[in-house]
Amino acid sequence: MRVIKKSRKNRQPSLLVLFLASFAVHAHASNDFLRNGVMGMVISHIEFALAPNANLASNCPNGMTLNLQEIYANTPAGKRREDETDQEYLKRLSSAGKKLGRSEDGRDFCMHPQLADPEPNFHSVVGSQTAVWGLNLDGRDSAEDFSGVDGESGIDNQWYRTVGCSRSFQPNGMSLSFNIAMLTGSWGIVLEVKGVDDLRNDDQVQVSIYANGDPIRLSPSREPLSYASYSPDTDERYWTTVPGRIEDGVLSSQPADITLRSEVNSMLLERVLRDARVELTLAEDGSASGYLAGYAPVESLYDMLYGYRTGRKFGGELAPLALRSNSANGAAFVLGHTCHGAYQALYANADGHPDSETGQFTSISMQYRIKTLPAFILSASGPDVVTTGVVAAEITRGDAHVNH
Amino acid sequence: MSTTDRRLSSSYHAPMHWVLALVVLFAGLQGCSNDSKELVKEPAAVGGPTLLRRITESQYRSSIATIFGPEVPVVARFERPLRAHGLIAVGTSEAGISPFAMEQYDIAAQGVADFILAPENRASYLPCVPAEGSSIERECASAFIDRYGPLLFRRPLSDEQRERYLGIIESGTAHLGDFYQGLRYALVGMMTAPEFLLRVERAVEDPDRPFLRQLDSYSKAARLSFFLNNTTPDIQLLQAAATGELEDEQGLLKQVDRLLASPNFEFALRAFFRDMLEFELFDDLAKDSEIYPAFNSEVAADAQEQTLRDIIRTLMTENGDYRHIFTLAETDMTRALGVIYRQPVAPRDGWERVPLSADGSRIGIQSHVSFLALHAHPGRSSPTLRGEALRNIFLCQEVPDPPPDVNFSAIQDTSNAAMPTARERLSAHNTEPACAGCHKVMDPVGLALENYDGLGAFRERENNALIDATGFLDGMSYEDAHGLALALETHPETPRCLVEKLYRFGVGRDTVWKERAYMDYLISLFEQAEYRVPALMRIIATSENFFAITPFENEGQDRLWVSTNKRGGIDS
Amino acid sequence: MSDITRRGFLRGSLRGAAIGVGLPLLDCLLDNSGKAFAATGKRLPVRFGTWVWGCGFIPELWIPKQVGTEFTLPAHLAPLKPYQDQMALLSGFDVKLDGVPNKPHVTGCFGLRTGIPVPDYKVKAPTLDVLISDQIGDTRFRSLEVCSAGIERSYSYRDAGSPNPSETSPLTLYHRIFGAGFQDPNAMEFTPDPRYMVHASVLSATGEERRKLMREVGAHDRQRLDEYFTALREIEQKMALQLEAPAPVENFVIPNAPPATTIDSEVENVMENHRLMADLLARALQCNQTRVFNMLFSDTASNLRRPGSSSTHHTLTHEEPVDPELGFQREVAWFAEKSMVACGEFLDALSAIPEGDGTLLDNCLVLAHSDCSIAKSHAVEGIPTMIVGRAGGRVRTGFHIAGKGDPISRIGLTVQQAMGLPIERWGTLGMETNRVITDLLV
Repeated sequence: MRVIKKSRKNRQPSLLVLFLASFAVHAHASNDFLRNGVMGMVISHIEFALAPNANLASNCPNGMTLNLQEIYANTPAGKRREDETDQEYLKRLSSAGKKLGRSEDGRDFCMHPQLADPEPNFHSVVGSQTAVWGLNLDGRDSAEDFSGVDGESGIDNQWYRTVGCSRSFQPNGMSLSFNIAMLTGSWGIVLEVKGVDDLRNDDQVQVSIYANGDPIRLSPSREPLSYASYSPDTDERYWTTVPGRIEDGVLSSQPADITLRSEVNSMLLERVLRDARVELTLAEDGSASGYLAGYAPVESLYDMLYGYRTGRKFGGELAPLALRSNSANGAAFVLGHTCHGAYQALYANADGHPDSETGQFTSISMQYRIKTLPAFILSASGPDVVTTGVVAAEITRGDAHVNH
Repeated sequence: MSTTDRRLSSSYHAPMHWVLALVVLFAGLQGCSNDSKELVKEPAAVGGPTLLRRITESQYRSSIATIFGPEVPVVARFERPLRAHGLIAVGTSEAGISPFAMEQYDIAAQGVADFILAPENRASYLPCVPAEGSSIERECASAFIDRYGPLLFRRPLSDEQRERYLGIIESGTAHLGDFYQGLRYALVGMMTAPEFLLRVERAVEDPDRPFLRQLDSYSKAARLSFFLNNTTPDIQLLQAAATGELEDEQGLLKQVDRLLASPNFEFALRAFFRDMLEFELFDDLAKDSEIYPAFNSEVAADAQEQTLRDIIRTLMTENGDYRHIFTLAETDMTRALGVIYRQPVAPRDGWERVPLSADGSRIGIQSHVSFLALHAHPGRSSPTLRGEALRNIFLCQEVPDPPPDVNFSAIQDTSNAAMPTARERLSAHNTEPACAGCHKVMDPVGLALENYDGLGAFRERENNALIDATGFLDGMSYEDAHGLALALETHPETPRCLVEKLYRFGVGRDTVWKERAYMDYLISLFEQAEYRVPALMRIIATSENFFAITPFENEGQDRLWVSTNKRGGIDS
Repeated sequence: MSDITRRGFLRGSLRGAAIGVGLPLLDCLLDNSGKAFAATGKRLPVRFGTWVWGCGFIPELWIPKQVGTEFTLPAHLAPLKPYQDQMALLSGFDVKLDGVPNKPHVTGCFGLRTGIPVPDYKVKAPTLDVLISDQIGDTRFRSLEVCSAGIERSYSYRDAGSPNPSETSPLTLYHRIFGAGFQDPNAMEFTPDPRYMVHASVLSATGEERRKLMREVGAHDRQRLDEYFTALREIEQKMALQLEAPAPVENFVIPNAPPATTIDSEVENVMENHRLMADLLARALQCNQTRVFNMLFSDTASNLRRPGSSSTHHTLTHEEPVDPELGFQREVAWFAEKSMVACGEFLDALSAIPEGDGTLLDNCLVLAHSDCSIAKSHAVEGIPTMIVGRAGGRVRTGFHIAGKGDPISRIGLTVQQAMGLPIERWGTLGMETNRVITDLLV
């Protein structure tokens, strides 16, 4: 929880201030992007909040995370034989890697990560010496917390710790360009702030965060445009409304659970953040930049970025097993990790929402850096709006039950 | 572009109620007279020459839709139309046909024929559908020609023409071994014939006026149909021509009212305003994508449609005052346009009635993106282009071309402080004697619109300097675009210019000096009709001058044609 | 062969079976001026075309200091160095206005192309490319008009009401030339399609309307009606051409379709479209789809612009101050030079096609010109003009001529004579001339 400064309410207002304030309460501010106290925004850029200048040598003393083939190649059996051609060697690596990724009875570890033995080749960041982007989410400064890029302390970013030694999360790495899916319209995020009396300071506003029901509107050179109109996704699972405040031009919302949408390989997935909030610095032209941050439940995060166990088709039904499994395994190979390694690391680094019985942390601090542009958010109801949301059904995971 | 003309307005369409209103209005005009309303009589008809008019792209498409049906595809490219005396409609009387155009007409004709005669379609279009065979079915061939020939040629075929097309069907069937191939080539022949592609106006003696001629009935039918419905005469209108109904005042009125009540009337209004507002220039319009990222072809199409929808709603559906289009505060908008107007639009694909601006400062079609963006540069606005366009289009005031030897070296002063807004940059225009004459006429009008950038989006400042949008229009001064709108609305030339343009649109030529009294007549009736455009069109269509043709010896007096021979060189 | 006999022939004898039509039979279907096609040993046709760029030049960077055959190429002509000896530079030839108001970027262009100054777009005579195509254009396309800057306009006019529109997209140009209706001259087999015959006879039958209609329309409309019938007849001839096997063309291979490109006035897009269309035009010339072309590189009021700039080439010519060091407008000069680079690329496309002993360019006469000399003042004196190509040996090149204020119609007259038109004078009033530029003609 961000340290909240002393609220104005706690001070003794002068009578004059009270008198003037009584006008301000009903006189909502207005300009192009703020009308009758309502400000709409569309997220125009989103990226993982990671470390801007990580020193890999000190952060990853045990090396970078490996995929199944690399793991095999490191074993004595995995060395290239003298008479082997390139093609034969690669083929052997591939099939051996596949074997390493399955249980003895042939179940795929991406679909069933809990079946695997401990995987020592998924490396997390060691120590907290590197500065990372992000907010102090729990108000505390624990040993595992990082320092911020401007010297702040207590930054909760265990997600960074988990992926900081994965090569696909290094600068220009392939995991970092997920916002392309947003630009091509597979998913999107819009916000609406209501009851804004003053763009610099207003201790009572209402912040809504919605999955965008429309693709983001772009210019011919593929830049997001300001002042586009968007309808939120019709599925109310993807709506969150919370109180918020603006202080010195920074908008922040109270923590709440937020569910948004994601997509990989034509499979619909969900982006869940618990106790999530936005913190945005508002600019004069109605644009803003800051964070969307919270605690991602490990099971949900694992599905969104690694295992795709819950991937759905657009009709709502579960995607075929082959699609989910092959996508997960393919991604693991290309991006350079193992599914079960990631699963285990996520739980090892988890720092939120401890299970009431076991005490095991079930969520992991995760932060996004975001930029927004002014937009108009329309009502979600009406005949013109097409349902794009997918109602997620419960799936029985059987023995994939999460309890360590 | 013309496909947008075919989209029906989604707004409420009530054809009959205002036609009745017109009839009542006319009863009032012709019945009792009171002191304030004079009974105005039409001056003696003057007329003009018979014309040879090329049909426009939208008329070509509408004609195929009228004759065969709207589902028949027209797949061809149409060349840019010629604009003369301010209107494409007048250009149709001066345009030739290039080899490219003929090539494309031929392609279009083949496409239509292929569709009509395709085995799965032919039953819907042919009067008879014999089994595929290699021999000609004479009766069926005749029936085919008799059905489509007169519709395509807008008059009955002569015996010679009938024989010709029967002969084509016969030889086509014989050479290609298929009766339907024979029909195909006859149809291609008819659709590339001059009587289809060109409107050949023919005149006959006028029994009432020995000094004048008039259009023959079929030419009248064509002129009426293209003016009021932007399409070729339908079967009913051709029959009215055949039976002499159009020669009779009541018969003519009946057909005019039928055409005004038709859904095609909207297309005629659209064709007229597209022409008047010069929308074909959108094909060439390019905006710098870094300076105006919101511009794309969807915006260009929506911008035109927005203006046309507002015009149709105001002038047709609501049968309102023409001048009101300059002060409309509401508009139809799409999401693509909403980005530029900074206006929320609810429907994902489609139109919503919204205010033109949140604070009501922007009103009228002259402050639509379709006007502001069209008359501006790729990377910035242009008070001069907008001022000139406003005067030209809405007030019929032509501004002469600039002098070719414009020399800016005397004016440029690079040592001075920057000139942040257009007003400062153009101040040189208004002080330099060679420039001031015309720029004083254009710039003050265009400068009022400077709060709208080169794409039409609102801005308070240019280069951080506050924009000054004051100005004056022919004696009326104003503080901003809102004031300019009111000045346009009340300007005496505004309705007068519309009358002239609408008349020219209908007859396809410029007005001649002798028609001034007729123009005055039309304008006073337009005023009495409270500036209602459908009423005006009815007045024009039923006036005597509309069909009047000058006698033979006056032909061509306005034209300067220099004939050439194919060997090159000139003989005048 | 008279009309009646030909039509009778088409109607009567052929019954839809595959016809082995040999060359002697075809002669009667061709106009009498049908020239021999390109084949080994036979005379190659000469092609004519214009290449137009807008907004003139910077004189000190374009006009060579020397006249005659020994001259150094100035800076802006450097891109044309490979063609120096195939090029005749003509500076200092004027459009004579004779009091006619000068419509900026229009009067100069039409004055050069028709020999008559006009104050607007209402030309008083066909442009010289139309006159030349009337003489030699008995090919599938009488002429091809192309514009690389996204404008559908051309400066090829038969008369005031009949401009020829330009193709603006490489892809549509490709489909028009090499799409439906194209017959590969090097195809192994040729089977004439009898449908073309029927189609031709249909169009011919429509032509029967001509006499009757001419009597019915007013005097001023007869010429337009005449154009309609001329255009109709051309399609008929095109159909007839489809019935004969095209003579094989050495080195010709049907090109692939070009990629879809952005069509607008941004200068790099224009250059790309220009290259693609020059290549297609060259191939079309090679296999005799046409013999006359008009390429408008940039509109005469040049709409070229650089991304992010709020000014086009044209607005810069009026608004950019003269650079005190350079002595001319820097940005304007950039566009002027770019235009010459484009000209070089156009000539590259023509000379990339091998033909006979040399290249296609050897059998072309390209008239490259602008609409004015100094764009800022729309001066129509000294409009820069070049003649490139050897026209099959009919013109001499490799020199610079200073016109010294002579009427620019001398160039048009000379070019028409080089292309075989039997004219001895051309132009009106101040531009009426019978003096050819003898240095040019062989």
